[in-house]
Amino acid sequence: MHTLENTLVFCFRALIGISFSVLAGAVLVQVLGRLFSNSPIWTEELTRFALLYTAAIGAGLSFRSGDLVNVDVFCDRFGKTWSRRFRFISSTLTALLCGVLIQPSWQFVQIGQLQTSPAMELPMHFVHFSITALLTILFLFSGLRAVSIAFLDQEGYPVKLD
Amino acid sequence: MALTILIGTFILGLIIGVPVAVTLGLASLAYLIYVDIPIVVMPQKMYAGMDVFVLLSIPGFILAGNLMNNGGITERIIRFANAIVGWARGGLGLTNVGASMLFGGITGTAVADAASIGGVMIPGMKKAGYPADFSAAVTAASSTVGPIIPPSVPMIIVGALSGISVGQMFLAGAIPGILMGFAMMITAYLIARKKNFPKQPWLGFAEIIKSFGGAFWAIAMTALIIYGLLSGIATPTETAIVASVYAFAVGAFVYGDLKLTMVPKILINSAISSAAILVLVGFANVFGWILVSEKIPQAIAEAVLTLTDNPILVVLIINILLLFVGMFMETIAALIILFPPLLALAIAVEIEPLHFATFAVLNLMIGLTTPPLGVCLFVCSNIARTPLTPVVKAIFPFLVTNIIVLLLVSYIPAIATWLPSIVQN
Repeated sequence: MHTLENTLVFCFRALIGISFSVLAGAVLVQVLGRLFSNSPIWTEELTRFALLYTAAIGAGLSFRSGDLVNVDVFCDRFGKTWSRRFRFISSTLTALLCGVLIQPSWQFVQIGQLQTSPAMELPMHFVHFSITALLTILFLFSGLRAVSIAFLDQEGYPVKLD
Repeated sequence: MALTILIGTFILGLIIGVPVAVTLGLASLAYLIYVDIPIVVMPQKMYAGMDVFVLLSIPGFILAGNLMNNGGITERIIRFANAIVGWARGGLGLTNVGASMLFGGITGTAVADAASIGGVMIPGMKKAGYPADFSAAVTAASSTVGPIIPPSVPMIIVGALSGISVGQMFLAGAIPGILMGFAMMITAYLIARKKNFPKQPWLGFAEIIKSFGGAFWAIAMTALIIYGLLSGIATPTETAIVASVYAFAVGAFVYGDLKLTMVPKILINSAISSAAILVLVGFANVFGWILVSEKIPQAIAEAVLTLTDNPILVVLIINILLLFVGMFMETIAALIILFPPLLALAIAVEIEPLHFATFAVLNLMIGLTTPPLGVCLFVCSNIARTPLTPVVKAIFPFLVTNIIVLLLVSYIPAIATWLPSIVQN
């Protein structure tokens, strides 16, 4: 379980690094293009799509690190045992929400098949898929936390970014 | 009944510690199921909320702030602020506020400010004989200046929600931010005099000039951002990425503290922080859409206008509502949900949108230092290794100060609108 989580974290950290680099690279091309002649028309679209995928890939990691903020003042007042139970309920509800929304998000992906992006002429279902990816990745990380609390005797605290 | 389900699920989720973004999603889902609206609308609205041009600048500003922070700017800013105000009674408290004002021009987020300045200043203040609760309180209170002095993530969100230019928003925050900083310095000084806190020797003009060399690059970055946005040569996204390149160059080549090997981790951590904001924006957009479709903005506007149409009282009501909500809700979620309905109300009594946006952001920043969701309060009491209750007591004079500044900005529109108007002209 621990190895699985570490592998997932490693992979998603690498992927988010790539998507953010694409975003920054596209903007730099845009700026440099403007300085020397005209910016390529595809840069703005690529930046937008890279941002959506950065959000999708980072959703699980931000849940894990606690960057996806919550109000823990109330539940911490109930003592350690209840606080842990609340973290389990919270993770389960997160997984439940994402699990319920994955199928409707796939319908949204299919709607995208009918459209293409104006500049890059990219079929929009590739872009709409970012929402399915976001929900699936968040489902994965929240589900892992719920399982680790329920079956592996873990506390389920966020692992802060260093 | 449907609205009760929406609000009830939201509050219950908050109480049991579900992430704010997910709570918004759960409440929206419960509502949609109850009123029998196909839930495919949720992914659509999430996508629509996240695919907004102005939001593209958020990762860039976060990256620029993190690069600067890891590049050794914090100590240099503190040294410069200390050279200017450290000699006064309670000088380290004043230095703390001054450093936050300068640091606010880099990160645009209060929590980053509290953690960075607090990490250096709180142990230093304790060592110099300041009480831990005062050290934590002054750091937490002054960190709220960060998102008011440009750049500012909440102001980018407001730009995305209202169509107000991000450059105009940034400029509108400059004078209120400086005013807030100076007001907190006066408060810290008065407390220091009353409690006879220590003071440091005057280090001389040579130290001011010498330390300015280090802090100059941070101040120049704020200037670069403002110039990039207002001159029209760059979009907010381009400005943010250029600021990141600048921050890298300063950290790596001018200060020499930023190693190339540190960059991937900084980039990835910045991306994760940005992702958290975007997920929140996505779910909050669904929640906000439900409120609009339930005609809540009109209901709020009508309810308030039934009570009074006096702009002075309406501003007061808006401020009380935002202060209350800011105590319990995450700033960005509160902005996305409440900004559109309250803007409608503000426009109804002829308050300029730019003015309203400025005092709304300022107001919600104060919530970062009030329990139970005062994130900066928790960060600083953790760093100071002191319980929360004495810090809450110690922050009270600063809260009063910030509320006085809020009222000034709310009732004197020129404090917010004068600078944008002269720059525009």
